[in-house]
Amino acid sequence: MIHLVLPFILMAAGLFPAQEQDQPIVIRPPLTGVTNLAVVDFQARGAATPESDSALKVFNEVLWKDLQFSNFFQMRSKSFYPSTVVRVPQDVAFESWRIDPVSADFVLFGNLQTTGSGAVLEAYLYDVKTKQQVLGKRFTAASTTLVRNVAHSFADEVVFQLSAGTSRGVARTLIAYSSLKGGSKEIFVCDYDGANPRTVTANGGLNKFPEWSPDNSRLAFVTKLPAASRWEIWLQEIKGGRDVLPTVSSYASSPALSPDGRRIAFSARTEEAIDSDIYVMGTDGSGRRNLTNHSGIDTAPTWNPSGQQIAFISDRSGGPQVWVMDADGSNVRRLVTEGGHCDSPDWSPDGRMVTYSWQAPGQWKHDVYIVEVATGKIFQITVGGASNESPHWSPDGRHIVFQSTRSGSKQIFVMNADGKNVRQVTAYGINESPSWSGYQKAD
Amino acid sequence: MKRFTVLLFAIVLCLPLLNVGCGGKKGPDVRPSLPPPSRTEPTTAPTTGPAPTVEIAASPSSVERGQQTTLTWKAQNADSVIIDGGVGNVSDSGSVVLTPRESATFTATAKGAGGEVRASTRVTVVAPKEVGGVTSSDIQSIVDAIRDGRIKDIFFDYDKADLGAESRTILEQNARWFRQFPGAKLVVEGHCDERGTEEYNLALGDRRAQATKEYLVELGVAPEQLETISLGEEQPFSPGHDETSYSQNRRAHFAVKE
Repeated sequence: MIHLVLPFILMAAGLFPAQEQDQPIVIRPPLTGVTNLAVVDFQARGAATPESDSALKVFNEVLWKDLQFSNFFQMRSKSFYPSTVVRVPQDVAFESWRIDPVSADFVLFGNLQTTGSGAVLEAYLYDVKTKQQVLGKRFTAASTTLVRNVAHSFADEVVFQLSAGTSRGVARTLIAYSSLKGGSKEIFVCDYDGANPRTVTANGGLNKFPEWSPDNSRLAFVTKLPAASRWEIWLQEIKGGRDVLPTVSSYASSPALSPDGRRIAFSARTEEAIDSDIYVMGTDGSGRRNLTNHSGIDTAPTWNPSGQQIAFISDRSGGPQVWVMDADGSNVRRLVTEGGHCDSPDWSPDGRMVTYSWQAPGQWKHDVYIVEVATGKIFQITVGGASNESPHWSPDGRHIVFQSTRSGSKQIFVMNADGKNVRQVTAYGINESPSWSGYQKAD
Repeated sequence: MKRFTVLLFAIVLCLPLLNVGCGGKKGPDVRPSLPPPSRTEPTTAPTTGPAPTVEIAASPSSVERGQQTTLTWKAQNADSVIIDGGVGNVSDSGSVVLTPRESATFTATAKGAGGEVRASTRVTVVAPKEVGGVTSSDIQSIVDAIRDGRIKDIFFDYDKADLGAESRTILEQNARWFRQFPGAKLVVEGHCDERGTEEYNLALGDRRAQATKEYLVELGVAPEQLETISLGEEQPFSPGHDETSYSQNRRAHFAVKE
């Protein structure tokens, strides 16, 4: 049984009423009703200069996109806003923001002043009905090119406040992926909106399947160096050094760090074995043992948020399907029973769902699906002619990053967990196997 | 001065030839080519803006097989920059580390409102130095047999790692070669077609390589002579997106370990 919509996630988003044909499943405290947000373009505090104009253009665009993508707000169109210039709280005539056509519940505004090569920003969020300040913050950017980060920081604070702590905001999160460069595939990291792509590896080999450590400081991935005939598991600091973890044969794949960051699960095969099993060991390489010992391929492990369970892919029943076991290898059971080909499961941050890719029998394309762990209920998230693979949750569980061929070549996209609001993250070359970081720690 | 002019003239004459060669073909460009320093030559086109420029260079420009070279480029006034040889669409400036298997010319094409320009650089790949010793003749015998098709690859059904009757016959012939020249170490590469997903395919390619090795060992080949590596769907033999290509890409391939 496959449903095309996700009523429970829409419910949780507070954007749509529950659909009657499906029993609503409340996955977190639902928000009450729609939040109408007016986001006024920030203004130069003093006389406008070319520097302040270009900084404001970037800031206003990034802030709007962050808040829109968060999927918490009804963004009220700028064309409805009163024409009075708003720089500081004294400029806000609350009544004109409350009534039609703006009908805002909250209004967000502020100002920017360039100082030398940097900028100082004042940012405000006000409740239109009570006329009370919800947020008032001053940010200093050492360089005007950093106003993008200020916009992300403020967007995350607004999301945290107005979602009653449901989300800490994803605007400062990062996406890691594997990118084809000539004959090699290197690991890259970019901001969640695709800005600032930078390389993590430059070894000229094949670097694949990156996964973040829980503290965002490291990436685990597999590497086949040029001219080597062996896959290695690398644990690399974003800022430099790396560990190459011991494996048992020329095959190792799909590393996943446990929620406490101390263990790593992966797919491997011993020299004597004919196919792969799921292994776990310490991140220092100690205490390695196999969790599965079954004929058939076992790969793509993903931990649940408590670290007590692992979902993985196994073809022991025929085609590759999603299976679940306890983290000691006991209680193995099949989670998806639809046939076809499943791959790349990723457990949701709230522990209730697993997203994965599925290829229907006889078809060539893949789509992103979600299965509810407790009930086995399945939801199709992507549709259309392209192939959509390798889904991975955002840290607030409201979004999914995935790779898709919809723009021609394989590229990275993000979307709401219900499949709406799709945004392209990468555009050049060929990019695959995305992994969404955890929340950014407080600066 | 005069020699310089003649050289420039020769470069201009060669350029259209070079472009045709790089246009649709995937393989390395084997024609004699120009020295590594990059050149910019505008092609004739109506211009409506500043003419784009593009530079490209490889460092080092000569490597042993298996070694890396860095390709660096920079374009100005360009809306798009494409580099052939598998690099593809790129941003205005950047670099990429490559491990070319054979000598190749990389051409960067920059397009803008002001027209289109190309620049090329040549990377020469030379054979690694002789390993020497008693095994070199074994290695050469196996290299020749692979090249001539006397040692053959084997093929698999979709999502399968089983060896069919035809594959077993081929492996029995291959095993005779491997037993006869035990000094040649081999890598059995497992390959998959692109229809599966990447994580599963990396495991499936491993199973294909392992199944192949297991049968060769049954036939008396020393396990130490055979390494296996899965390449999943990373290095397809046929670039198409139909069953004819897919069936070519589901294989175990034999390579001499370098």
